[in-house]
Amino acid sequence: MTAPLDQHLPDPAAVPSEAVSDPELIAAGLAAEPTLTQPGLGRRTLESLRRDPVALISVLVVVCLAIVAIFAPELAPYNPLHAFPNGLAADGAPVHPDSTFLLGTDPNGRDVLSRMIFGARVSLLVGVVATGLASIIGIIIGGIAGYAGGVTESILMRLTDVVLSFPILLFCIALIAITGPNTRNVVLVIAFGYWTYLARIVRGLVLSLKEREFVTAARTLGVSHAKILRRHILPHLVPAIIVYSTLGVATSILIEASLSYLGIGVPIPQASWGQMISQGQEYFQTAPWLLIAPGVALIITVLAFNLAGDWLTDLLDPATAEIGR
Amino acid sequence: MVAVEHLTVAFPARTGGGEVVRDVSFAVNPGERIGLVGESGSGKSMTARAIMQLIPKPGRVASGRVMLLGTELGADPKVAASSWRGTTLSMITQDPLSSLNPLVRIGTQMTEMLRFHRGLGRAAATARARELLASVGIPDPARTLSQFPAVLSGGMRQRVALAIAVSCEPRLLIADEPTTALDVTIQAQVLDLLERLTAEQGSAVLLISHDLGVVASFCDRLMVMYGGRIVESGPTAQIIGAPAHPYTRALMASVPSMTGDLPDRLASIPGSPPAGGVWSTGCAFMPRCPIARAVCATVDPALLTLSGAAEPAAGDGAASQGAADQGAADQGAADQGAADQGAADQGTGTDEAVQHAAACHASQNESWGRAA
Amino acid sequence: MTGEPIVDVTDLQVHFRVRRGLVGYQTVRAVDGVSFTIAAGQTLGLAGESGSGKSTVARSLVRINQPTGGSIRVGGTETARLRGQDLRAYRRRMQMVYQDPYDSLDPRMSVLEAIGEGLAVRGMARAQRRAATEDLLRRVNLPVSLTSRYPGQLSGGQRQRVSIARALAVSPEVIVCDEAVAALDVSIRAQVLNLLKDIQADAGVSYLFISHDLSTLRFMADQVAIMYVGRLVEYGTSSQVFGQPQHPYTKALVAAVPEITATGRTGRTRLTGEPPNPADPPPGCPFHPRCAVAIDICKTLRPTLRRKVGGQFAACHVAPDEAPAVSSQGATPGTPGAEPGPAIGTPSSSEVSA
Repeated sequence: MTAPLDQHLPDPAAVPSEAVSDPELIAAGLAAEPTLTQPGLGRRTLESLRRDPVALISVLVVVCLAIVAIFAPELAPYNPLHAFPNGLAADGAPVHPDSTFLLGTDPNGRDVLSRMIFGARVSLLVGVVATGLASIIGIIIGGIAGYAGGVTESILMRLTDVVLSFPILLFCIALIAITGPNTRNVVLVIAFGYWTYLARIVRGLVLSLKEREFVTAARTLGVSHAKILRRHILPHLVPAIIVYSTLGVATSILIEASLSYLGIGVPIPQASWGQMISQGQEYFQTAPWLLIAPGVALIITVLAFNLAGDWLTDLLDPATAEIGR
Repeated sequence: MVAVEHLTVAFPARTGGGEVVRDVSFAVNPGERIGLVGESGSGKSMTARAIMQLIPKPGRVASGRVMLLGTELGADPKVAASSWRGTTLSMITQDPLSSLNPLVRIGTQMTEMLRFHRGLGRAAATARARELLASVGIPDPARTLSQFPAVLSGGMRQRVALAIAVSCEPRLLIADEPTTALDVTIQAQVLDLLERLTAEQGSAVLLISHDLGVVASFCDRLMVMYGGRIVESGPTAQIIGAPAHPYTRALMASVPSMTGDLPDRLASIPGSPPAGGVWSTGCAFMPRCPIARAVCATVDPALLTLSGAAEPAAGDGAASQGAADQGAADQGAADQGAADQGAADQGTGTDEAVQHAAACHASQNESWGRAA
Repeated sequence: MTGEPIVDVTDLQVHFRVRRGLVGYQTVRAVDGVSFTIAAGQTLGLAGESGSGKSTVARSLVRINQPTGGSIRVGGTETARLRGQDLRAYRRRMQMVYQDPYDSLDPRMSVLEAIGEGLAVRGMARAQRRAATEDLLRRVNLPVSLTSRYPGQLSGGQRQRVSIARALAVSPEVIVCDEAVAALDVSIRAQVLNLLKDIQADAGVSYLFISHDLSTLRFMADQVAIMYVGRLVEYGTSSQVFGQPQHPYTKALVAAVPEITATGRTGRTRLTGEPPNPADPPPGCPFHPRCAVAIDICKTLRPTLRRKVGGQFAACHVAPDEAPAVSSQGATPGTPGAEPGPAIGTPSSSEVSA
């Protein structure tokens, strides 16, 4: 009672019960395989940005900040270090925001807007470089500790604990008091205080990655430790590193601002938001923009980095998880 | 007693479709033991959760309903689920560590059930809990009451889960892969226990598993699910003896047995089971079916009873579109209050109400796979 | 069986030290004196429940766990104590296919890269790897187009085949299958099992096949060993062990397997109780608390593997021996050349060869 068969399915009478070697049947069988294609990372990024306006705004802010920082000399209307003769009113008070000085001037007659722009450059520079440095140190130490285990791990982790227990700000203050304030020292000091967080995260990740079956499989194949670290472990750390870095930049910017606020960060004539806030404090009654501008900028920047970091976490997590059945 | 009518459960999917259970209908009679067999993506677990009104969040019942003792579940918002969940209907799952709260002592979890549903006082509830633990074979009930679930072995935890599930004498106990994670000797113990407890209380059991052997040795009636639909149903002995649907046949032929001759190679099914949600037109099994025909690609076969219940040769599930079906179109209509057929150990002869049905266009005269 | 067995394990011991309480340690004898052989092109099935130590045996064979004692000879070379470079060279001869198809492949490496890793270990130059990979994919019945896919885009059965292809990339002599099909859908298991058999027929690979599923073992294995709490309790050919089990545990295991053709559950002998804690097994025969036919001697004296009626080896005081001199129930003399077992009362290792 066999009805005439469809063109692309083999005649059942001719097909033995196990015909996996038949290429046609493999093709048919493959057609039956679920097509588990996940859209690429780029696609998903755009989609998730579209759905989450907050994340979209944060990312835009970060991007704008980067542009401002990079193109500061072109974007700033004036030299931030230049004290304009007409920058101060007759009685020596800073000028209100007007058509010449869009954000007014500071007590030295310098254009606030230009200083803000160059301040962004400082913040971002310090933030990115310090975090980058901290990341490298953290990855190396955490990675070795997690993978080697045993005594090595204990020593490295105790070292991490010791550094972790220093109060960062006080530590930075002390260091700079010794070495003197300059931007390079600020970067180094922040990196030194901050690598510990990533070291811990990386160690934890490496510990759990070590136990995963594909690492065991690589060891069984006979792959060397160095290759395992490079090809199997490191790529899995990337999402965590990216997320940590985003948040790290935010924190670093804040620390730098704090140090500059205290006067031990970026050296005096250079513009830094922290410094500007410190200055602006005294003039709050008379020239509120001196405090508001850098303050708001700082808040927005740190917030944007934090939110962008959150969004990145969500975006990258499902990417590392395999598609289940 | 419990009837599922044209149930469809859907999850929102970006590409549309997203149905994991499609137009499933069946009924459970008092005291009956029904098995639901299927692989991943077949929709069997989701069917169970739909009965308990416990579908995980983005999913919902897209159409159809579940009837409990004549009332539709979930229809009346004033009726709290707690009035029937745990008491009339209860469920145990594969991993008891997720159904038992790992941070709460076992005694507390058990007495909580008893006090809430049965209004027992603390002492009475504790005594009853101890009795229940003893009845499920826990060696030291008093001590176990004060322990946390994590210290028990898998088999012990499953016994505790069973004790909790039967503590309020449910009319239907749904067991979703209860023994999949257990060793085979422990599995046998737990299944025996399940049998004894439900027989004592007269509860019906809906046993869900991917293991045909487990289900076949326990249940009087079987339903085989594939691609979100029931593709074959009927008395266990008939399905095992003369499977009508090519999927069931292929499944049975591909599992090695402990007795009898060993083939050189196992009869296998090419391809993989479909990952739930996205369906093409026609029969879901068609891409893997050895006897597929043109009509299978376009028309989804309906679940039709086979006439002449025990005779595969005379039976004829062949239905092109538009052919009349022989009597009841699906199990649901056929089983109003009828006694179950019973397998060799129980039945007092066949009962015409429990019919062997299959959803397949091709005739089951093809001798393929295990001989009838 | 011709010539030397390809795998010869003698008195394998794997002990773990586990912390107990705040400071104390306890030794868990996960594998406590296991001996077996595997002939070239044959399959040894290893069965047992949780805590039996079968996975530990598998992992110590491929040196994921380090053996604490005993000897493992592969192709004549003693491998249990190799280190460093020698160990890496040994690793190629013995490969493993893992239980979890979703975790045994690196989700960030494409199929080409994953299999290529194995080829690289073999020393193959990068230029030739693609052709060799496509070859291997054909051998496991996967379409060549899969080379660019990532594990996340493959189904469970496909992933497992890729794992098999990766294992084959280094041309091993023995492949350990640790519950290789347990996590696959039932309808896919048959495909993979058939594939394994085909590869064995083709390439002459030997398998150590670990499974808790006895019916799979019956299909796959030529010889079967049953483990209980770190030791072998029965060891013989597949038809001997499953057809006429001698050890009460084996009998219970076989009786517990739900058969599709079974008619109801009553009337089957059931094993009561739970497997013991491997850190603290009962004295004498570790099975005696659950054994229906245990006699006094079982509680004090641990039985050793001896050849029983039916031809296989079992560690049981009650099952009738084949060798006439030392049985407790008067055994029928079995096949000629039956070896007398080691003296009763030696609680240490037992020597077995198939």
